[in-house]
Amino acid sequence: MTFSKGAIEPRHADADIFVGWAGAPGVDRRFLLGLLPLGLAGLGGGAYAISAGLEDPGPGAWLTGATHEVEGVFARAPYPMLRLADASAPFGMRTALIVAEGKCTSALELDRLNGAPVRASGVLIRRRARSILEVPLTHTDWIETVAGPADGRLAAPPEVDLGTAALSGTIMDSKCFFGVMKPARGRTHKACAALCIRGGIPPSYWVRTPDGREAVLLMTDARGGPLSEEILPLVADPVRAEGRLVRVGDLIQFRADASAFRRREV
Amino acid sequence: MGHKYQAVQWNGNKIVYDVYVVLAAGVFFAVFFIIGLAPHGSGNVADPIVLAIRALGVAAFAFLTITLAIGPLARLSPRMRPLLYNRRHLGVFTFLIALAHFGLATLWYHGGGPLNPLVSLLVSGQPGDPFPGVPFEVFGLGAFAILFVMASTSHDFFLNNLTAGVWKLLHMLVYAAYGLIILHVAYGYLVTESGMAAPAFVFGSFAALAGLHLATGLAEVGKDGGMSGRKGPLGKEWVEIGDPTAIPDKRAVIAPLPRGDRVAVFRDGAHVYAVQNACRHQAGPLGEGALIDGLVTCPWHGWQYSPRNGVSPAPFSERIATHDLRLEDGVLFVRSKPNPLGQDGAYVALGGVGSGA
Repeated sequence: MTFSKGAIEPRHADADIFVGWAGAPGVDRRFLLGLLPLGLAGLGGGAYAISAGLEDPGPGAWLTGATHEVEGVFARAPYPMLRLADASAPFGMRTALIVAEGKCTSALELDRLNGAPVRASGVLIRRRARSILEVPLTHTDWIETVAGPADGRLAAPPEVDLGTAALSGTIMDSKCFFGVMKPARGRTHKACAALCIRGGIPPSYWVRTPDGREAVLLMTDARGGPLSEEILPLVADPVRAEGRLVRVGDLIQFRADASAFRRREV
Repeated sequence: MGHKYQAVQWNGNKIVYDVYVVLAAGVFFAVFFIIGLAPHGSGNVADPIVLAIRALGVAAFAFLTITLAIGPLARLSPRMRPLLYNRRHLGVFTFLIALAHFGLATLWYHGGGPLNPLVSLLVSGQPGDPFPGVPFEVFGLGAFAILFVMASTSHDFFLNNLTAGVWKLLHMLVYAAYGLIILHVAYGYLVTESGMAAPAFVFGSFAALAGLHLATGLAEVGKDGGMSGRKGPLGKEWVEIGDPTAIPDKRAVIAPLPRGDRVAVFRDGAHVYAVQNACRHQAGPLGEGALIDGLVTCPWHGWQYSPRNGVSPAPFSERIATHDLRLEDGVLFVRSKPNPLGQDGAYVALGGVGSGA
C-alpha cells in the first residue's frame, strides 16, 4: 500500500493546478462542457413538465388595451354596479360591477349617484357573459350623469326569489376571478382575494351546477347587503353553504350570512 | 491575502462561468413561458405575470438545488471542482431570481390593497382573523430573509471581518432556507395546482439532494476517522502516512488525523513538508492545491503559504500551522499535534538525508 488506509490520495497528479479564479484545467472543462447539454436538457425538461402541467387558468380577460364607455343606471347597493339596457341580453339588461384600480373599491365615493343615469368609462374585465368595469380610484372624471330620467326598470329591478339551495363552491374576489389574474384561485391567490374583498371588491361564489356547468353567483348577506371582512377566513377555500337564490335583473345573488358557510375537506 | 475589495470579483473565467449560468436560466424561462403561454385546450391563456411569478419561484428552487448539489458532487468527482470554486456567483444569481419572485409576488398579490404589502405578506392578508391553514407566505419570507443575508455577506469583505467560522455558520443557514422553501412550495403551489409534475420535481430534487449529501457525508465521516496506519516507533502522536516518494512532485497527500483535523503533506522535489489542510481564507483544502513558486497554493482562491513555516509571503502575514514529519525505514510519519503558528515544521529530505527544524 502506497499510503496508509484513510489517506486522501493526491488528485490530478498530471493535471495543471486549478486555482478557483483561474481557468479550469482542460480535462475538467471538457468534462463539464460534456455535461452542459445534459444540464440544459434537465432544466428545460423540468420547465416543460411543470409549465405544461399547469391547470387551465379559466376564461376571462382583462382588456387593458382600450377604454370602454357605457351608459346605464348606477346602483350603489349591495356593491357599485351599472345596469345597461340590452334587448339581446336575458331579461333585457346587462349588469357590470364597478371596481377601482387596485384593491380598494370601497374608497370610491359614489353614493350621490345612486339610481342616476350615468355615462362611465373604464377598462373592461370580462368572464363569459359577465363583465366588470375597472375605474380610476383617485378621481371621478370617469363617470358623469346624463340628462333625462332613469329607466325605472334598470334603477330598481324586481327581486325574484328562486328558493333556497345548499351549494358547494369557492368564494372568489370578482375582480381577479373575472380576468385580472389567471388563475385567481387556490392557496397562492388566497391572500390577494382576501385583500380584494376586504377592500370592497364584491365576492363571488363559484359553484358547479349538478350537470357540471360553472355558475358564478354574486354573494350578499342574508338580507341582501354587502359581505366583506366577515367572510375573509373562508375565502379561496372549498366551502358549502345553504342560502337563498335571488335574481335581481340579470344577476343571481346567493344570499347567506358568513356563519352559514362551512369549510369542506377535499 | 489581498485586501483590495471589488464589488464583484469577475475575471475572464468567471464571466464565462456566469454566461453559462445565464444561458441555463434563459433556457429555463424560455421553455416555461413558451409552453405556459400557449392556449389550453379550452382556448384559455394564463396571465403572464402569474406565470412569471411561478417561473421565477420554480427557477429559484431549481438553481438553489443545483447550488447545494455542487458541494457533494465535487467531492464525488474532482472534475466538478470548477463549479465549486465559482459557487458563490451561482448562489448570488439564485438570490436575484428569488428577489424577483419575492418582489413580483408581493406587489401582485399583496400590493394595491388596504394593507401594507409587507404586513399583508406576514398575516396572509387577514390580521386578527382565525386564518385557517398554513401561511405559506411566511415560509417563503423566512427563506428569502436567509438568502438575503447570505447574498449580502457573500463578499470577501464580510468573510474576512466576520471570520471564516462565523461566516460559514451563517452560510450553513442555507439548509434551513431550503427546508423553508420546500414548505413554502408544498403549502402554496402544490396545494393550488393538481398536476403531478411539480410535486415530482420538488420532492425528486429534495430526495436527490438529500441522497447526495448523505452519500458524501458518510464517505467523509469514514475519512475523518483517522488513518489506520501504524503509530510506529515514534509514539502515539505520530501517524503513518506511507511512502513519501508516491506523492507527486508539487502535490500533496491529505491525511485525516484522529482528532478530525486534516494535514496536507506536500512534496517539493526531494523535500516533504506538512501543513494544516484548511486555508486561512475560507478553509479551502490546501492539499488539493499545489506548490507554485515553492509556495503552498490554495485551489480555491490562490492564497499562498510557505511550506516550511506556514507564513504567507510578504507583504501578507497570514499563517497556518505546520506539522512535523519523520522518516523511519522509508515510511513517512506525521505528528498529529500542530506546531505553534509561524514555527518551522520538521521536514523530510528524501534520498536518505533527513533534516529538521
